[in-house]
Amino acid sequence: MVKLDNLVKTYGDFRLDLSLEIPDGTVTGIVGKNGAGKSTTIKAILGLIRPDAGRVTINGKDAMKLTGAEKKSIGAALSDSGFSAYLRIRDIICILRKTYPTFDEAFFRDCCSAQGLPLDKQIKDFSTGMRAKLRVLIALSHGAELLIMDEPTAGLDVEARNDILDLLRQYLTENDRRSILLTSHISSDLESLCDDIYLIHDGKIVLHEDTDTILSHYAILKVDEDTYETLDKSYILSTKKEPFGYACFTNEKQFYAENYPGIVIASGGIDDLILMMTGGN
Amino acid sequence: MLGLLEKDLRLTLTRKQTLVIFFVLALIMGMSMDGSFIVAYLTMLATILAVGTISYDEFDNGFAFLMTLPFSRKTYVTEKYLFSLLLAAAAWCVGAILFCIGSGIRHDAASLTDELPMLLAILPVMYLTAAIMIPLQLKYGAEKSRIVLLIFFGVIAILVFGSKRIFEGSNALAELTKALEGTSSAVVLLALVAGCALITFVSYLWSARIMEKKEF
Repeated sequence: MVKLDNLVKTYGDFRLDLSLEIPDGTVTGIVGKNGAGKSTTIKAILGLIRPDAGRVTINGKDAMKLTGAEKKSIGAALSDSGFSAYLRIRDIICILRKTYPTFDEAFFRDCCSAQGLPLDKQIKDFSTGMRAKLRVLIALSHGAELLIMDEPTAGLDVEARNDILDLLRQYLTENDRRSILLTSHISSDLESLCDDIYLIHDGKIVLHEDTDTILSHYAILKVDEDTYETLDKSYILSTKKEPFGYACFTNEKQFYAENYPGIVIASGGIDDLILMMTGGN
Repeated sequence: MLGLLEKDLRLTLTRKQTLVIFFVLALIMGMSMDGSFIVAYLTMLATILAVGTISYDEFDNGFAFLMTLPFSRKTYVTEKYLFSLLLAAAAWCVGAILFCIGSGIRHDAASLTDELPMLLAILPVMYLTAAIMIPLQLKYGAEKSRIVLLIFFGVIAILVFGSKRIFEGSNALAELTKALEGTSSAVVLLALVAGCALITFVSYLWSARIMEKKEF
């Protein structure tokens, strides 16, 4: 279990201040705009930055004080960092073999081959997508209990993204205690994979909800100005002025469907969630 | 630790061209020059190459990922000192072999026995390069550490020059040299190794502290 208890980290004007929990056996997504604090949260969990206040624990132990043996159960894929670009995959295989006793070389080689990653080419000559695939495969290669991934599918085409998501699903089915924490800008990835979603905005959690609930209960109501005036706003989370009137974001789609049969209700996805909860009025 | 050593060895081997040029230069010098310069030259280059792996780790924000691998920050520092020592020792061995071959070709067996204490002293003294460069590179990064290193050597040069001026006219230096002349080379060597070990240990503690405080 990963627990962030009143974590505070300040960089100049930016202040991250949040608490969250990732129980064993769950897939948790963190969404938010650029600069919202997603990567800072990931770094705090991985013990790469020191919190100004609060605690970050993994299985009850301070993230900054994890031993080498404890870190073996974590697989990390960062969006902007990996093995030196001067190495080749053949080199990385030798390094991982000596780093993780549980390194599954056959699996790693098969996946590299399936994803078209050459073993003898320096990583600096890889495309952005190839580098992203490699980072994910490295994190998956040693049977970690917890995967922490910052934008794992960024830069990938649809086919490669689906392949990576399939690998993550397969990883989850092998052991029901395995957990994944991931950030992504691609809402369809999160919708198809995550059990719950945290929405971060300006360093704070503005919403935490089960993905199923978001998909089934959240919606955008499109109403003209007259309807808006008479609308029961008890379940309106956010409102945005539009040329036709107002777009209202609700977490009680059914309530409005039953009581206002004439209004347009568009099912809310994660993209709408981000747009309405961080950009509306 | 083994994974880190493997990584650094492989990163060093990516600089094959540099290694070949160094080796060819060493061969030419070994065959043509008298003295133990060749051993010092190779040991120094190996130490610089070993410490240079920190630049590779730092490049493209690589530190962040490395610190997610299963070892502590202290282990990372320990590995850098160990890798530098191993590479320096390996280069010293190659240099010593070339020196022996060169002496053999020149039928100069006497120089080998004369220079043995000097040869043995090269390794700890050259390793001090790593002891100075590792903490600087960890603290200031590859680019800034070069400037800091230049300032460092500048200060040392000023101190040496200054002390020379101070001792000019006094015979303290001559007395010290005279006292050392009576000491056996084994004792001097041992004192040198102990001194270098102490400086390296202090440097290691400093590096470990820098890494513990670092954020990625």
